[in-house]
Amino acid sequence: MPKFFLPLTVGLFLLATLAHLGLFDGERLARGFRNLRILGGEMVPPDMSILPTAGAALWETVEMSFAGTLLGFIASLPLSVLGTRRLFSDWLSSFARFIAAGIRTIPVLLWAIVFVILVGLGPLAGTFGIAAYTVGYLAKIYADLFEGADPEIIEAVQSTGASKLQLVRFVIIPETANAILAQVLFMLEYNIRASSVLGFVGAGGLGLVIQIYLQNLDYRRLATVLLLVLVIVLMMDGISAWLRKRFLLSTQGS
Amino acid sequence: MTTALHAEQVWFSYPRHEPVLRNVSLSIPAGKHTVIMGPSGTGKTTLLRVMAGILTPSRGEIAVFGQPLIGRSRRELSSLSGYIPQQLGLVRNQSALDNVLMGALGRLGDAKTLLAIFPRAEIDAAHAALAMMGIDHKSNNQVFQLSGGERQRVAIARTLLQRPRIVIADEFASDLDLTLAYEILGRIRAAAETENITFIMSMHRLGLARKFGEEVLAMKDGAIGKGYIGSEYLETEPAEATA
Repeated sequence: MPKFFLPLTVGLFLLATLAHLGLFDGERLARGFRNLRILGGEMVPPDMSILPTAGAALWETVEMSFAGTLLGFIASLPLSVLGTRRLFSDWLSSFARFIAAGIRTIPVLLWAIVFVILVGLGPLAGTFGIAAYTVGYLAKIYADLFEGADPEIIEAVQSTGASKLQLVRFVIIPETANAILAQVLFMLEYNIRASSVLGFVGAGGLGLVIQIYLQNLDYRRLATVLLLVLVIVLMMDGISAWLRKRFLLSTQGS
Repeated sequence: MTTALHAEQVWFSYPRHEPVLRNVSLSIPAGKHTVIMGPSGTGKTTLLRVMAGILTPSRGEIAVFGQPLIGRSRRELSSLSGYIPQQLGLVRNQSALDNVLMGALGRLGDAKTLLAIFPRAEIDAAHAALAMMGIDHKSNNQVFQLSGGERQRVAIARTLLQRPRIVIADEFASDLDLTLAYEILGRIRAAAETENITFIMSMHRLGLARKFGEEVLAMKDGAIGKGYIGSEYLETEPAEATA
């Protein structure tokens, strides 16, 4: 098979899909760009008078993301250990992976609705919603990660008579610590962005504010909110870059 | 003389492959460090893994000090045999001391060790094992900060703490320069004598095999012939042959 066969196929498939989705509809594109200019024009200058309101809502979002990510992270560890095929029978690990996949199937917004029903309106519902989605995502990533841990090290420590729990504690987690941390940080970033829409369903945070400004076509205020989210996401980038440098680089090397 | 390890007509093949081990029978006397030599791809690693109880042979019997391996749990095996893989199997971002303490996991319960609380006696024993290998001054260094030779010392210290009756090591000391390898092998012999352990190592360098092995077994095409040393070693490493 020629070398370029696969990239060519993928490229053609992408073009076909985009055409089907209407990307090459010239008139629609022109209309879109006109609207974008109007929308852009209506967003400047951002209305800074709402900073106190938006700031409080933003803080709630950040709190929800931190608590939700941490809860989800803690809950994902046992599930991912059970999902590690090297440690447990195929039956048990498939079952654990099935649960994780089931949790993951439900988008975070739906989880938020479920928890609004369970615990009522407000940020607690949002926190649980984020935690639930985080469990589904991290349990899968971690189970795959744990399975990839160097089999030689596992064998060597297994031959000291270590139990499965001891293997997890002394080999698998230390060996994959870098990736564990990197994934939590990624999840935290993701959750901060995701949780800014949870307010749409009454699960607290910035979402309610965004929804109101959107409905009122109040784009100058919306712009302020989006800028705030940008600032927070950039801050998170900075924090995770610092954490990575602090904890990850020090363990580089063979 | 007591037999440390006895293999009787051992066959092994990976699923859907030709047999790697073909009717291997051997007896390793207690207290006689044994070196297994042979060209790469000849089944040395597989034989060692079968002898360590990591792989179950397709046919045949293996016993360590008269106790059959097959059907025993890893925990039961750990007091009989220790295993050091070719890449040593150390956890890279844990300290040398932590790695050595893992040797004691087989005799400690989950509850305390999960919090990484080890009995004082085990910690002292771990330091003693590191000292025996001449590396106790680096006990707090992370493994990834250690050189190749230092890691070999830590790996040996871990099996010393495990206190098995035999230690099986794959291609041990084979990427070290000769002087360093001799020093480490010398320390292993001294420690083996104090701790009453029989070492079984695979090697491909004749100089090291002569230095360390009291018995040399040669392997070819998945079978073993006692005392046979192929001429290819003499040709490929002439400098070491006279070392």
